[in-house]
Amino acid sequence: MTVKAGDVIPPWEMPSVSAARMRTMAAILRDPNPVHWDRKAVAALPLGLGERTINQGPLGLSYIVNMLHAWAGAGSICKLIMRFPQVVLDGECVVARGEVTEITFEKDDKNPKGSAHLAHCSVRLEHAERGVLLEGSAIVKV
Amino acid sequence: MTYSVPDVAEIEALAGHRFTGGHYTIAHWENFLLTECTGAELLPNGMVHPVALFHLPIEGAGTSIAEMFALGQAESDLSIMIESYEWDMFIPLQEEIRYSVSGGIISAERRANDQGQDYDRLVFCFEVATPANALAARTTIIWHYTRNTL
Repeated sequence: MTVKAGDVIPPWEMPSVSAARMRTMAAILRDPNPVHWDRKAVAALPLGLGERTINQGPLGLSYIVNMLHAWAGAGSICKLIMRFPQVVLDGECVVARGEVTEITFEKDDKNPKGSAHLAHCSVRLEHAERGVLLEGSAIVKV
Repeated sequence: MTYSVPDVAEIEALAGHRFTGGHYTIAHWENFLLTECTGAELLPNGMVHPVALFHLPIEGAGTSIAEMFALGQAESDLSIMIESYEWDMFIPLQEEIRYSVSGGIISAERRANDQGQDYDRLVFCFEVATPANALAARTTIIWHYTRNTL
């Protein structure tokens, strides 16, 4: 794969964020926060979100991972930094997007096969009406 | 409802706190369910989906989300806001490997948001190592413990 700065990463879509998956995730993570499994707890917050559950941060981040894996392959991600300006709600359609901002070369003197080109990427998770929900950067071996 | 805000000295004293440390093994069933939650197919050759880099370090270090909430004297589970997650991945994680995990709090301070409301900003850092003691991953969690906003 030839990659250069300015390349657009093919987007990855989650057509409908699932409340059932949030519950499974909460159980595995032993996450006591009811915003992930109790719609009434979310409705009681002064956020105006209604009776929706809020996706776990790592799940929103995982959509970015899925986009990068589909583009550069499993195990290609070296670094991810994500911020969470808005919540992701159950039932929403969200799309992971990204662009390559820079290419650098990582030399491994001990293992030439381990040397790699690194794509520095700007990444985000978008909702059609609410805009950017998550944003950050990634470094990916390409 | 009004909560008492912890003394700033108590919050700042959390910097340097270390968890007991320990081990964590991602079983196949766990990776299967985690991966399904992300909407992806299982990764090849027993590779663990990186989404595990949230709870694996926490559980492996001998702590829990609930304890991390309690350390910062969270008013409630609902009062925690995420600032950022930073995941450095040096070696892809594999199912059924017993990883060693260490971690702690590297920064704890009181700040005010744009509306002048105080919150406490805690930075947790964890390191995950292979059985051969090679660093596989490092994760940094930054949470805001909001005060009297609910």
